[in-house]
Amino acid sequence: MVEVVKQFASGIYNLLLGMFTSGKHLTRHAITVQYPKERWEVPERSRGMVVLLTDHETGRLNCTACLLCMRGCPSGAIDIEVEKDEKGKRHLKNFTVDFHLCCFCGLCEEACNFAAIKLSRKYEFPEYDKKDLIYDIQKLQAAGLDVPYEKPVRNKVEPKTPSAAPAAAGTPTADTPPPPPPPAAEGPTPTEAG
Amino acid sequence: MAEELRTEDMTVNMGPQHPSTHGVCRLVLTVDGEIIRDCVPVIGFLHRAIEKMCENRTYAQCIPLMDRFEYCTSMSCNWAFCLAAEKLGDIKVPERGEYLRVIMGELNRIASHLIFVGVTPMDCGALTPFLYTFRERERIMDLFEMTCGQRLTYNYIRVGGVAKDIPPEFIPKCREFLGIFEEKIRDYEKLLVDNPIWIARNKGIGIITPQLVYDYAISGPSARASGVNFDIRKNDPYSIYDLFDFDIPLGTNGDSYDRFNVRVNEMRQSARIVAQALDQLPDGEIRAKVPLKFKPNPGEVYSRIENSRGEMGVYLVSDGGPKPFRMRARGGSYNHLQAVPHIVKGLKIADLVAIFASMDIIMPEIDR
Amino acid sequence: MMELAPIFTWIHDLLLSLGLGPTWTDLISQIGLAVLVFSLLCIVALFLVWWERKISAHIQQRYGPMMTGWHGVFQTIMDALKLIQKEDIVPAVADRQVFFWAPVIVFTCAFAAYIVIPFGKGLIVSDLNIGILYIIAITTFTIIGLLMAGWGSNNKYALLGGMRSAAQAVSYEVPLVLSIMGVVMVTGSMSMNDIVAAQSGWAGFRWNVIFQPLGFVIYVIAATAEANRTPFDLPEAEQELVAGFNIEYSGMKFAMFFLAEFVNMFTVSAIATTVFLGGWNGPFLPSWIWFLGKTLAMVFLFMLFRWTFPRLRVDQLMEFAWKVLLPLAFVNIIYVGVMSLWLKW
Repeated sequence: MVEVVKQFASGIYNLLLGMFTSGKHLTRHAITVQYPKERWEVPERSRGMVVLLTDHETGRLNCTACLLCMRGCPSGAIDIEVEKDEKGKRHLKNFTVDFHLCCFCGLCEEACNFAAIKLSRKYEFPEYDKKDLIYDIQKLQAAGLDVPYEKPVRNKVEPKTPSAAPAAAGTPTADTPPPPPPPAAEGPTPTEAG
Repeated sequence: MAEELRTEDMTVNMGPQHPSTHGVCRLVLTVDGEIIRDCVPVIGFLHRAIEKMCENRTYAQCIPLMDRFEYCTSMSCNWAFCLAAEKLGDIKVPERGEYLRVIMGELNRIASHLIFVGVTPMDCGALTPFLYTFRERERIMDLFEMTCGQRLTYNYIRVGGVAKDIPPEFIPKCREFLGIFEEKIRDYEKLLVDNPIWIARNKGIGIITPQLVYDYAISGPSARASGVNFDIRKNDPYSIYDLFDFDIPLGTNGDSYDRFNVRVNEMRQSARIVAQALDQLPDGEIRAKVPLKFKPNPGEVYSRIENSRGEMGVYLVSDGGPKPFRMRARGGSYNHLQAVPHIVKGLKIADLVAIFASMDIIMPEIDR
Repeated sequence: MMELAPIFTWIHDLLLSLGLGPTWTDLISQIGLAVLVFSLLCIVALFLVWWERKISAHIQQRYGPMMTGWHGVFQTIMDALKLIQKEDIVPAVADRQVFFWAPVIVFTCAFAAYIVIPFGKGLIVSDLNIGILYIIAITTFTIIGLLMAGWGSNNKYALLGGMRSAAQAVSYEVPLVLSIMGVVMVTGSMSMNDIVAAQSGWAGFRWNVIFQPLGFVIYVIAATAEANRTPFDLPEAEQELVAGFNIEYSGMKFAMFFLAEFVNMFTVSAIATTVFLGGWNGPFLPSWIWFLGKTLAMVFLFMLFRWTFPRLRVDQLMEFAWKVLLPLAFVNIIYVGVMSLWLKW
């Protein structure tokens, strides 16, 4: 009998303790952010929209069309069109990022040795039309204009940085222009299953 | 007259769209009123062919996929895969890299257990602890985002180390979190552990005997709640877990109540490990020099880690090429789900929900 | 300070002086009062929905509705407007008549209880001499509505929810009535006005809860079950039965269930106020403010229950009602009987 009363009393006490705990929180401030009205600062390294970076001095894209990012991309979101001029020099013709496929893993940024592609802190880019989510070179460049970045010192790029591309076919160095890419079939072309 | 009074068993499809199936699991229940006569789990609604996709990707490209293998503990999944790849390639991870892996892995375990501690009471009808645990989880997510840039799919651990070093503000923020965490755990306990309604709902419900643990290869906290003292961090230490001082919380009855308490206490132990790792964190390299075109030696390897849900294993076969020849991953939930029908027969629908939650079953790990 | 009752008396006298007979005057003033009470209750229900959302949000350290009006006060009105616009979906296999009438019954019964509740001094639509009995009878009708909703939807979850609610209501009705019975024994009347008047001593603080704390506790527990609130919200346990009896309802019918739920919560709080907490008795402030304040305090208690506790299982619920609450209610009645004979309460 004493045991039952004891158990009963402890039960009531613990119920009241629980109510006190939730009551205690009632007096505290909300910790959530009223999203469209206020936004919180995302960290420096936050991986958001993929942008192409522009050299502020020359006004040209940093990209050298080495295709490392395209090979490193696990979901095949990046598509690069390259054209060669008569001297055999490679030029970037078009650079497409398909944000339907992009999984924001950041491997393209790690693969790049020229600070040409970056996952910016921008995270709001919804569209009404799905087609608008396929960003071409102009849109990517425009999005990257206000993204701060550190330009790598080109003479000191090490041949093999540990953070370089995982599946790079060749390593571009500073002095020589990036070697022409091997035929596409050789590279690890990621294909979406199904 | 007797013919008219006959009752009939009813088949209820619980899921794939149901609030408490933790993903898209379908449970075909045969119920007599509220009492479950039979339970057949139907899986495969979340199948994404991760194992097959890994065969078409290089080792580095597999890691973002492993993020999605089990999105509550992405870090551990990354880790398990990288551990297997390192075994294949004979790569030694630098010390700082190992420490960072442990810190991230244990923080991720806390985050995953916080989801459990929030979701299990929610399935028993108490909604508030869910919001409290997610409040703390957000702080861990902040730490992760600060380090690797994402809040859910981290893609942080690499073959040979980790992707980035922690930012300078990480350590003070992490210590601050660990400082307040114990008090928060006590809050959850005040709300639940001694609450008579919670005890009535969970004590003695869904008992898993040690025999059942062995029969179904149940691992992780669900096995330890039954008193089976098996933790890969202690029994088959990987990484640098032998350097840390931590306990393995054990249950006695193997009921839902014990499974909850074991996980709550495991959060405390994980916090202990993180604190120790932060104290001992050495300077140095974070990543071994892995060849750019990482081609491991031909062969096969199985490596396992202690995930928050149980044994997480990755079996890799390499033919010496840049891509895995075969990848097979094992998650603990698959075995846990198989055990559920054996436990729930004769119990109520409400018990099924509580047991399902207390096993911490998550569907992406099962369907892959 | 403003008492509302003289205004109604004035209107009553005005109608009387216009040459209408006393029967017609009574009828018109009662209908007028009923309409007033109904519209007030709608506002109260809308307010309670908002309040619950705010309370739950702040317990969980969120903001809750913030967009419409000051801290989202008009959120419920907007929601109701949205629900009115929505398509009224009836499942093809549903029993259409039963499906249609279920929310009507629930809604009507929830509101009908307020006929005998004294909101303030003289603020009562009709002072029935069996007031308590009437309330208990009319709130029990709600269960028929829930059962109809569960059956008529032709959905397994809804059926389980409806069955649960029927079993639960039958079980908890008994301790609920017995706990109130203690007060009726002391007062010697079932009229709500008499019960309130009996508690008017000690400057309005001679509350029944002081004399019968056990009865009050039993009442609160049983009332939580009556109002289908956590920890006894099994009929609509969303984690088990998705939404229980109202799973197939949409649009305005769903809104009727939803509002009825909150009106029910207000009803049980109002009864608790009237029977145990001294009704509208209280010094200084107008009587209706006392009534409203006490009732809202009770509602707050129910909300705190809901946002703290897990839910009981269906067999534990029954066990608790028959094995714990019912014996306790009998103990309470014996205690009240002995005390009223001995101490001449």
